[in-house]
Amino acid sequence: MGIHDLIEGKRQWRAHMARVKALPPDYQIVYKEMQRYLFKVGPVDLTDGPLLSGIVDFFEEGAAAGRPVLKVTGRDVAAFCDELIKDSPTYADLFQQSLKK
Amino acid sequence: MSFWETVTGSDLTREWQAFAARTEALPADYRAACEEITNNLMLYANFSGRNLLPIVDAALGLLEEAAAEGQSVHEVLGDDIPGFCAALAGGEGARTHRDRWREQLNRNVARKLARLGG
Amino acid sequence: MEDLTEMLKGTLEGCVLEIIAGEETYGYAITRRLNDLGFTDVIDGTVYTILLRLERNGLVQVAKRRSEVGPPRKFYTLNEAGRRELATFWSKWEYVSSRIDRLKEAGR
Repeated sequence: MGIHDLIEGKRQWRAHMARVKALPPDYQIVYKEMQRYLFKVGPVDLTDGPLLSGIVDFFEEGAAAGRPVLKVTGRDVAAFCDELIKDSPTYADLFQQSLKK
Repeated sequence: MSFWETVTGSDLTREWQAFAARTEALPADYRAACEEITNNLMLYANFSGRNLLPIVDAALGLLEEAAAEGQSVHEVLGDDIPGFCAALAGGEGARTHRDRWREQLNRNVARKLARLGG
Repeated sequence: MEDLTEMLKGTLEGCVLEIIAGEETYGYAITRRLNDLGFTDVIDGTVYTILLRLERNGLVQVAKRRSEVGPPRKFYTLNEAGRRELATFWSKWEYVSSRIDRLKEAGR
């Protein structure tokens, strides 16, 4: 399934983004920037894996505890993202492998 | 010769046509960027095109998402489309481009949070 | 103590396993526990990525449950594989720390 299907109004995706919109503004900002970065880096299971919804779970808990978002992710949000996808191959990884064959 | 023509005739035609249709649905400035991206990605093909499919899919997905959010194409891609493609394909120069994405992410977060708090 | 990040790499996962072994608990509580122990630099995000890894490697059992405040929480307990991993962690730790102690003593 392509990202396209999700963007074009998959119910799940809309429900997911609705949860994002219910987060406090600082959490929303960080979530959206993270998502943008992750879409670019492109871990292969991004849209049908649990990564994105897991981040929202995690953020909902942090927000409920009243913690500022950067206390939760750390100042280096990119490092947090990279740590999250450390074990999942990206499209670039798969592609480079296919060239080596 | 365009990217699409190159792959026409292969058994992958149908998939590429689907990509072409998705490209058509994008705003004009995005369509131009798409063309440049696919032409650039060709540099990385060896080439039945099959191994490039997921990458083109990812690139299109990114553009579709950005267009849906009303971002400008420049905001998404920056000035360096060859570098962007290198990062997508994981080729030479991918490291530095991903570093730039990292910096961009942290900078955007800092800027937008500051504006929020201000 | 601050600036322990580099030194804690590789041991933090063991610490999280130990905390979960003690009692069923959830992410934010684990971070607080580590902070209270004196690892003040450890943040929730780091613990979150460790928990994801533990889950993916099949070392913990996860139950999503309602909490008194806020959204449902994921609670973690160790399974058999997790307990084995924890035992391995402690024996590695004993090995490394005893050697380092020896090195330090010899230098005196």
